[in-house]
This record gives sequence, C-alpha cells and structure tokens, in this order.
Amino acid sequence: MYRIRFHGRGGQGVKTASRILGRAFFKEGYDVQDAPRYGAERRGAPIFAYVRASRTPIHERGIIQRPDCIVVVDDTLMPVPAAAILQGCEQKTLVLIISDLPAEKWTHRLQIQGKVLCLPKSVAGKGSPLLWGMACVGAVTRLLGVLSREALTDALRQELVTLDSAAAEQSSSTALQYFDKMAATQIVIQESSPAAATTYTSPRWLDMPMEIGPQTAPAIYAGATSEKLATGLWRTQRPIIDYTVCNRCWWLCSTFCPEGAIHVDSEGFPQIDYTHCKGCLVCLVQCPTHAIQALPEQEASRLSGEEK
Amino acid sequence: MTNTTAFKSKRDLPQKHILGTGTPMCPGCGGLAALHEIYDIMGDKTVFVNAAGCMTLLSVYPFTPFRGAWLYTAMASAPAGAQGVRDALDILKAKRTIKPDDDLEVIVLTGDGSAYGMGISATSGAIDRDLNFIYLCYDNEGYGNTGHQYSAATPHGVKTATSKGSRGYPGYKKDLFSIWAAHKPTYVATIIAAEPLDLAQKIAKASSLNGPRLLLALAPCPTGWSFDPSLSIEIGKKAVQTGVWPLKEYVDGEVVHTKIPKNRLPVEEYLKLQGRYDHLFHPQRDKKTLQEIQDRIDAYWHKVEYN
Repeated sequence: MYRIRFHGRGGQGVKTASRILGRAFFKEGYDVQDAPRYGAERRGAPIFAYVRASRTPIHERGIIQRPDCIVVVDDTLMPVPAAAILQGCEQKTLVLIISDLPAEKWTHRLQIQGKVLCLPKSVAGKGSPLLWGMACVGAVTRLLGVLSREALTDALRQELVTLDSAAAEQSSSTALQYFDKMAATQIVIQESSPAAATTYTSPRWLDMPMEIGPQTAPAIYAGATSEKLATGLWRTQRPIIDYTVCNRCWWLCSTFCPEGAIHVDSEGFPQIDYTHCKGCLVCLVQCPTHAIQALPEQEASRLSGEEK
Repeated sequence: MTNTTAFKSKRDLPQKHILGTGTPMCPGCGGLAALHEIYDIMGDKTVFVNAAGCMTLLSVYPFTPFRGAWLYTAMASAPAGAQGVRDALDILKAKRTIKPDDDLEVIVLTGDGSAYGMGISATSGAIDRDLNFIYLCYDNEGYGNTGHQYSAATPHGVKTATSKGSRGYPGYKKDLFSIWAAHKPTYVATIIAAEPLDLAQKIAKASSLNGPRLLLALAPCPTGWSFDPSLSIEIGKKAVQTGVWPLKEYVDGEVVHTKIPKNRLPVEEYLKLQGRYDHLFHPQRDKKTLQEIQDRIDAYWHKVEYN
C-alpha cells in the first residue's frame, strides 16, 4: 500500500493535490482513500491531506502515521511544531519539499531520517505559491513509478473542472511539467505493506490518570490569553512600514487592521506586531501615502537577520 | 442628527487595541475588524454570549482574546443565555454581592446564520421582554464557518456552496434591520468596520442607553466571498459608497440615515471585487441580474431621499 501525506497552508491547493493524486491512482485501478484534514484554523494556517492507494481493499482508517512519502508544499512550515510534518518519517520515507535550500541542509537541520528532495520555488509554478501544490502532485505521480502520464492528465482534467479554463490549463501544465522533469531522477517511492494486527505497534500513549475537575481543566481568569498563539506563522507576505513616508495617520492602519496587530507608539507612529500579524495586507491597501510595502515572508526574515 | 458622543473626528478613535491578537479568524476577517473596533470602545466590563458561528472559535480553552467573560450557547439561543446572565448580575447587584460599578454589559455575539435565521425567535422574545442587552450580529451573508452555504442574509444572485448555478442564490437578503426596528427596541443600527467613526459614534450611543440595543455589522469575508484578504476594508467602503449597505440607526421610533452617499457609485464597483459575483460578469455579462440588483438599490435610496 502507498501512503502519501501532503502538508501546506490553507489556500495552497493541498486538498486539490491529494484529490488529483487519489484520482490518478483510481484511474490505474487502485483502491483509494484521499482526505483533507483541517481543524478550526483558516486560510494560511497549516493543514494536511493524505492519500492511501492499494491493489487490495484498504482496511486502514484515519490519519497516516507512517507515510511512504511526505510532501511539503510550503517550507516555512518545516519548523512549525503544530504542523507535525516529520511525524512518522522513517528511513525509507521520501520527503519532497518545495524549497530553495539544498536537501542536505534540511536533512542536517531537522535530522531527517528519510531521503529529501527539494524543488526550487522559483521554478516550481513560476514562483506562484498557488502552483506549488500542482508541481508537487506532478512530481509525486512520477516518483511513484506506477502511474501513467495519461492517468495524471485525466485526473487533472476532472479535478480542476471548477477552475476557469486559463487557471486549469496553467495548473495542469505545471503538474505535467514536473511529472516529465522527474523522469531524470532515480528516486522511487517505496510501497509498504498494510498494517497487520500481529506486527502493529501501538502509538506511544501518554497515560493520563483521572484527576479532579479543577486540575484537568483549571479555570483561567487571565484575559487575552490568545496572545500566546503566534498567528504570525500564517503570514506569507510581510507588510513593512517605511517611516520616512509614514504620515502618522494611525487611525487608518491601526484601526483597520482586523487583528488589532498595529499598535501606536508614543510619537503616533504605527508599529506592526509581527508575532501576530497574519499578513492580510489590509494596511498596505489602506495606507494613503503608500508607506507600507509587502515582502515575501522568507525574504523579509532573511533581510532582518532572523534566519541564519 | 447631532453627535453627542466623545467621537468627533477620526483622531478620537481608540489608539489602544484591547481585543487580544492570536485569534483563529481568517486573515482579513471583516467581522473581526468590526469586533475589535467595538471592543476598544466597550472595554472589558462586558460579558459576551456567543451563538455558534465563526466567532465561537475566538474562545477555545484555554485561549481567549477577551479580557472579560465569555459564554457559549447553542446557535438559536444566545439571547436566552444573555437573559440568564443579565438576571444573575441583577440579583447579585440587588443582594449587594457586587457593587454597582462592577456591573457588566451583556453582549450577544452572533453571525447572520443565527441572527437572520434560527436565532430570530429568541431575539424577538428578548426584545419583547425588554431585556437590557446589546446584540451584535457580524453579517457575512452566509454560513461562513461551515464552508459558506447560503443563509437568510445572502443577497440575490450570490454564488455560495449551496447556490452554485449560473444564477446564484435565487432568494433576497432579509431586511433584519426593519424586523428588529418593528419590535420598537431602544436602539438599532447598521455599522461596518470600514467606517470606524460612524461605528464608534453608534457604539458609544448604544452603550449610553438601556434596554435592547441591536447592531448589525456587514462583515466582508475573504474566504466566503472570494476576494483577496487585503481588500476587506476596501470592499466595506464600496458597500457604503454604492449604497448596498445603508448606514442608519433607529432611535426614539425614527430611522435616520447616518451617512447618505452623495454620488452613489454603480453597484458593479462593489460586485466586481468579489469572486462570489464572478458569474455575473464572466463568461458573459448577466445584464438582467446586474440591472435588477442596481434597481433595487436605487429604489431603496429613492425612498430615503424623497420621504
């Protein structure tokens, strides 16, 4: 059985990618499960989707614990613990990342046991994040070695039917281009056997002894505890204020910021709280003097020296 | 209309934002924008009674953006929850268990699914009982939390998850403002985050009054309406400038428009920014539907201007 898990952010086509792959497997006569998983989080927040495919009926259910391939559509998620990208990664697992960093760097940084393959961002989908998912599904389909180009073409046509024709064409051609590109690599995603009751090892459960109510669910009287959640991780574009152009009309950007993440300092200058700014860029659109510009998050963090 | 509140100009708007950041709302959420502007004015001496909806997710234990209390109710029964909280506070005050200064304002927070639909009966009952509370609906014109199915607040012709055909939603947006006003409560107002001064004046006014006070905030929704999150406020401004969203209030038995757009923009300026209206422009212009939408807005403002 093949088990493939896609990770990305809401809005990056992760769900569509898993559906396309599932559909391609189905065309080749496989039994298939494909399912997206997301919780209460929204566009920009980490989500994942997974595909199981087998020549025999699939009895496994639920989230894939030991994937044969992990696909990471957005490498800014790699260090986010909540995204749990490397969960269940073993030596035989292929980790496919859309990233400008070399594979060795990721292997070293996160001590990845499996093989790592990186597709550069600039090339994947001409740099548009919306096409990264398409690049991934094209590449994975080829790396599996058991799916034909025709099955992928058919799956793309069926799954992208809701897009307008120009967008569908661009998505399809990106996927097919990556299918062709992968012909040159020797890497093959290895199938693994279905989980059997006899060899099944249970997850590492945490024993939680029964406790009295106030201990298991203590009352919290502190206000604004949501500030502990760093929603800045959702951001793909970073708004940056050029204070030489800023007019100090804080009542615009600071009021309009839906998050309330623009504070006003004692001199009346707006200050963006990057720990919580989700990067919606309402401030950029509303700033009358165009003092706010947006930079891709990774470039911005490189420039400000946050990333080594 | 004379403005007797402390908010005379935009410079009087709150500089400090006290609603906690880090919420799970989508980037560019028009409802969150309105809520934080309102909360900056209402402050932490408030109890929010939340009907099921997107904003249920604001307070997921142990996290909350509020500095005061919050109570979660089922989708149809937030005003009933508010009644319980109000009564409890009144009893505590009568018993002198809390000082009059420690009293809290009870605020119902619901989306349009609840306000226009399944919660309208409980709301009507609460107004009948002259419940002393504020009711705030963030109206994103559909069941946004579950994938944007149409609701009783969905405008004519809109594409939603349950109206995907080439003509969109066949029904018409319910006139909740008038339904509320027909109950003759203390105060009713429409607001929008894109007009923060108008919003601040109305919130200040509502806070100064007693009895049922109901607020209807149009909440542009990037996810459900299909537009780039950065346009959230721009679309709100266009809703006002095109006359789609009349800013008005009902007080002392009269409806007053607080901002009458002088040169109303054609409604297309608002519609074309949103993917949910895309089918009216592509592949061909749906002239009939576009004209119908424009005619309805013109008829509304004709009544306002010549009454």
